Amino acid sequence: MTINVILGILLAGILSNNYALLHFLGTGAVIENERSTKRSMVLGLGTTLVMVLSTLITWPLDKYLLVKVPYIQTMVFVLVVLVVVEVLHLIAKNLLDNYCRSDFVKFAINGAVLGLCVHNTELGLVEALVTAAAVGIGFMLTMTLYGKLKDLAVDEDAIPASFRGLPIALLTAGMIALALVALSSISF
Amino acid sequence: MKKTKTSYLLRGTPSVLLFIGAGFVMASSADIRAALGMGAAVLLSMLLTSIVVSAIHKIIPAYAKTPVYLMIITGFVSIISMFMQAWFPEVVQMLGVHLAALSVSAVIYRDAEEIADHNGEVKSIEVALVTGVFFTVVMVVCALIREVLGNATIWGKPIAFLQDYKVSALVGAVGGYIVLAIVMAIINKVTGLHHHLDESKEKEDNC
Repeated sequence: MTINVILGILLAGILSNNYALLHFLGTGAVIENERSTKRSMVLGLGTTLVMVLSTLITWPLDKYLLVKVPYIQTMVFVLVVLVVVEVLHLIAKNLLDNYCRSDFVKFAINGAVLGLCVHNTELGLVEALVTAAAVGIGFMLTMTLYGKLKDLAVDEDAIPASFRGLPIALLTAGMIALALVALSSISF
Repeated sequence: MKKTKTSYLLRGTPSVLLFIGAGFVMASSADIRAALGMGAAVLLSMLLTSIVVSAIHKIIPAYAKTPVYLMIITGFVSIISMFMQAWFPEVVQMLGVHLAALSVSAVIYRDAEEIADHNGEVKSIEVALVTGVFFTVVMVVCALIREVLGNATIWGKPIAFLQDYKVSALVGAVGGYIVLAIVMAIINKVTGLHHHLDESKEKEDNC
């Protein structure tokens, strides 16, 4: 795997392969994020670590053990993600609880992690691990960006009453998604 | 205040639910068949999970609730996706990984943890039905707009006079955001939900 391929995967994870905004996986967790930049980044890094570790375990499981029983793939993957999140939470309990009073376990088990594990079964192991890291970084950056957007002072009266809350959050996400779609044709 | 079906809807709960379930709503609303399939999957998995969780919640220790509830949801979602694979393989293909991702959906988990865990079977079933039907209706309405205007088809069949006027962007990711935002704004306007947003939006975490 050349450095160009790795850079391409990393860039795609942030831009054209952005799970939260373009694949609709983990979108809820990103859109409702109201955390500060620092807290968003710590939580995002935790989720990235969950993505990489889960891929490291689910990839060989799918390749060697689930070949004959593909119908239990989802159950096995959810169980693996659950164990990874619980172990990570146990190891870094103080750090994670300091940075997020809500349950890290509930946050980190989201559609993006499970969807990534399923998608990664179609790739080689190294490629899958780089993709997991790239998607995790993209997820973290999107989440941080959303947290930052909520901090901005917005004149509520400028938004029509019916569009306040979810509709305006979705329109904002749509605009960011439009920009990311425009960048999807980058190649180097 | 006694929570009836009406008050459950009018207190802004769907707005909060749509926040966390926006992902699968947008993912499955590019085609009416996919929307109906996802709606059925959400409704059934939520209903079955509610029945089981409300029946056994007293014997599950507090520290084991998250893994147990997640595995119950995953089990039901797996069974439903197997049935759908057998009867509607096209729909499963359209939904792709989003059907599996329903297992970790915050909407179903939240329903299990906050409603079924604290109420009896009847109340849990009632809330699961209302929520499931609400999600299905929103998905079908969004799908109708996106498929007809974006793809110039309905139920996969082409609409001849719209072929030259279709807005392809509506079928893509951006269309999902825009259509759901407009549908939600209309729901807010018609029901007055936005008046209840502030009081009902739960601040689970202030971090």
